[in-house]
Amino acid sequence: MASDWRRYTRTLRRFWGTALAGQLEYQLNLLIELLAMAGNLAGSLFVLSLFYGNGSGGSGPGLGGWSWPEAQVVLGVYTLLDGVSSTLLRPNLSRIVTHVQEGTLDFVLLKPIDSQFWLSARTVSPAGLPEIAVGLALMLGAGLKVGARLDAATLALVAVLLLSSTVILYALWFLLATTSIWFVKTWNATEVLRAALAAGRYPITAYPAGLRTLFTLVLPVAFLTTVPAEAVLGRVSGPWALASLGVAAGFLLLSRAFWRFALRFYTSASS
Amino acid sequence: MSTRLSLARGLRIARVLLSTQYAYMLEYRAEIALWALSGVLPFIMLGVWSAALAAGGDDAGLGLGLSQAELARYFLGAFIARQFTVVWVVWAFEEDSLAGRLSPYLLQPLQPLWRYVAAHLAEQATRLPFVAVIAALFFLLQPAAFALPSPGRFLLAVLAIWLAFAIHFLLQSLIAILCFWSERAQALERLLFIPYLFLSGLVAPLAAFPPGVRQVAFFTPFPHMIGFPAQLLAGLEVSIASSFAAMAGWIALLLPLTALAWRAGVRRYTAMGA
Amino acid sequence: MLVPVPSAPLPPVPQTPSEPIVVARGLCKTFRVAEKQPGLGGTLRHFLRRRHRDVPAVTDVSFTIQPGEIVGFLGPNGAGKTTTLKMLTGLIHPTAGSATVAGHTPHRRQRGFLEAITLVMGQKQQLIWDLPPLDSLRVNAAVYGLDDTEARRRIDELAEMLELGEELTRPVRKLSLGQRMKAELMAALLHRPAVLFLDEPSLGLDVNAQARVRQFLVDYNRRTGATVLLTSHYMADITALCPRVLLIHGGRLFYDGRLAGLSERLAPWRQVRLELAQPLPAETFHSYGELESLDGAEVRLLIPRQRLTEVVARLLNELPVLDLEVSDPPIEELIGRLFRQGVVA
Repeated sequence: MASDWRRYTRTLRRFWGTALAGQLEYQLNLLIELLAMAGNLAGSLFVLSLFYGNGSGGSGPGLGGWSWPEAQVVLGVYTLLDGVSSTLLRPNLSRIVTHVQEGTLDFVLLKPIDSQFWLSARTVSPAGLPEIAVGLALMLGAGLKVGARLDAATLALVAVLLLSSTVILYALWFLLATTSIWFVKTWNATEVLRAALAAGRYPITAYPAGLRTLFTLVLPVAFLTTVPAEAVLGRVSGPWALASLGVAAGFLLLSRAFWRFALRFYTSASS
Repeated sequence: MSTRLSLARGLRIARVLLSTQYAYMLEYRAEIALWALSGVLPFIMLGVWSAALAAGGDDAGLGLGLSQAELARYFLGAFIARQFTVVWVVWAFEEDSLAGRLSPYLLQPLQPLWRYVAAHLAEQATRLPFVAVIAALFFLLQPAAFALPSPGRFLLAVLAIWLAFAIHFLLQSLIAILCFWSERAQALERLLFIPYLFLSGLVAPLAAFPPGVRQVAFFTPFPHMIGFPAQLLAGLEVSIASSFAAMAGWIALLLPLTALAWRAGVRRYTAMGA
Repeated sequence: MLVPVPSAPLPPVPQTPSEPIVVARGLCKTFRVAEKQPGLGGTLRHFLRRRHRDVPAVTDVSFTIQPGEIVGFLGPNGAGKTTTLKMLTGLIHPTAGSATVAGHTPHRRQRGFLEAITLVMGQKQQLIWDLPPLDSLRVNAAVYGLDDTEARRRIDELAEMLELGEELTRPVRKLSLGQRMKAELMAALLHRPAVLFLDEPSLGLDVNAQARVRQFLVDYNRRTGATVLLTSHYMADITALCPRVLLIHGGRLFYDGRLAGLSERLAPWRQVRLELAQPLPAETFHSYGELESLDGAEVRLLIPRQRLTEVVARLLNELPVLDLEVSDPPIEELIGRLFRQGVVA
């Protein structure tokens, strides 16, 4: 088992080393990414401010009982997650369909290493790193502004819940990407997912009851941003934190089982 | 273009291009349906805005000046306007030039950008039924918001959407033409999309903006591209003449600019012997 | 310039019969194809009432390969070669029958199996496009659990055999097709597999590059004793590399044996070329054999092997023969004809 661990960590180092080597050529890209991030964040903050009276000069109704800095914490978590998905998820998961289409999935399956690991961790893109940093800063900065007590225990809980959100996001995305084994064309379904996840920019209580249920039970947007933001503000409840971990574990196991299931079809049907 | 096209010939080319592109797009209807669905952003924003409106009571200090039903229709209008003004010429152009399909197009007596126009129109025709289904579902779920625009308003909205499409297409074509100079031109589209996203009215009716920002926004083409047709469709009050004038002005500016850029780009392309 | 093709070396045939390293026993693969009418109506109907048709791709294919053998796998397009290779590499499950490769059942894809085999596909590549091959090789070294010194040693060794040098530090997209295939071979062989499955490894390469790849495979086989099963469209690959061939046609194994024996099986006759003193009418030749061509005084006849001596004697006796030449139809031509027509005599 120890040698297994070594093989996987060494492989991961090589994966990401080669990925970074491939991207250093494109400094211009980095500049564009930075500009895009700044623009997106400014735009999101601006739209958010409209609910707090920026538009009318008054006080505004706010969002679902969240104060202006509290809502910024949610936006910070969203930005952080978006950065994680640009860094890790999109570069890897968007390739699965290409592997299926071009048949290079064969090479992956013939490697003495877990194929889901290979497909999910093959590459890394530094483009999302600034977004991660800015998201973290916004999340913690806005939290401090409302007097959140960021002691070690809180930070640890936040870290665990953020990890759990990342896992949920990854597993959802991987589940959809897996369907490309059968229907190459439904690849666009992941775009639908991404569009729907934009709902995570706002706290879950900012939505009408129907959407709130949808975003908690069907598409777990609530666990992606609201729950970690509550943890920053020191008010996440035990059941919600546990539910987040449970949902993450459930989706992760589901994505694994579904991938195994899909491979059975790939390996019995491809020609 | 130097060749003078007679009207009849132009119409025939248009008919053939449109019908073949439509047949092609029909093959991809599953993907196009998903594309249509990925434009859900206005509905998400409707959720946030309507909850905020409900929480704050009458107008709630949002400065919207809209009722719940009007708000719902506005965002449905924004959804529809977005669906028929989606432009992807940058990606298609880049793919074609990488695959070497561009050179044969350049040899034909037809400005290649027309092909992409035809492809977009055909794609919109393929989208139409999906958009209709989504709009019908929307009114089923929100019966209180149901109202159809008057025929006159509807026609004006269709015209506004076409003009909005033209502006968006010209803007993106300018970026696409930059592909003649830089391989990475496509990334600029990401930057163009940001002001479009926040200033077009896709995420918030412009009435909610602070006056200063609103004024700046109206100096850009973006509010006319989503907000204006959405207001027309929703039956809201809007200054029709000035918006159409602004759109005409933008087209008058962008059209010659695109033509000039295209000529310079082709000159560079042929000089490079690519 | 043509690089001389080395004469086919005999594989290190083991003196004592050993355990075969590849065993296919009654392999079958049937693909289930959905029958769907085109158009929206067809899609809906298909959705409501699915109809399938079973298309056999491979039927009852059995053979064994001894360690160290180089075996050519022949057959027209769609004959089932790639399907068989995919069953042997575990990428697809056989519908019936079983396979054992290097002591493992392929479709379980156990680590021990995956480390013992490799698959090279001429039309697919595993190298990272934008990076030098060396980077892809390092990734593979980690994946196969090789330590750095060992990986370095093997890379040097393979690079020397393949005559690759600074190409390894150039981005793959800047390499020629031949250099790229050599680098692909390096990536596929770094873990020193005991069994090599090669699907059209020389596809699209120029004659020079084909010859180099061929020479490399021979050297590699000699040095490591690896077993090779190879498909190719280029007969030159097969004649130069493979003392033994498997011919598959319509999903069935049609021939398994030495290449020379294949021409007898494919063409149970020989070609006789005659030069006569004067032209004769076509009917003259009916009693001797099948008239292949008649061009003035030059005649080509096909004559069954077992009657050859007798017929040649008669020809010399009965006709004004100036010159007579007996030849085997070239194997390339026979197989080429087979592939074109898709029929087996």
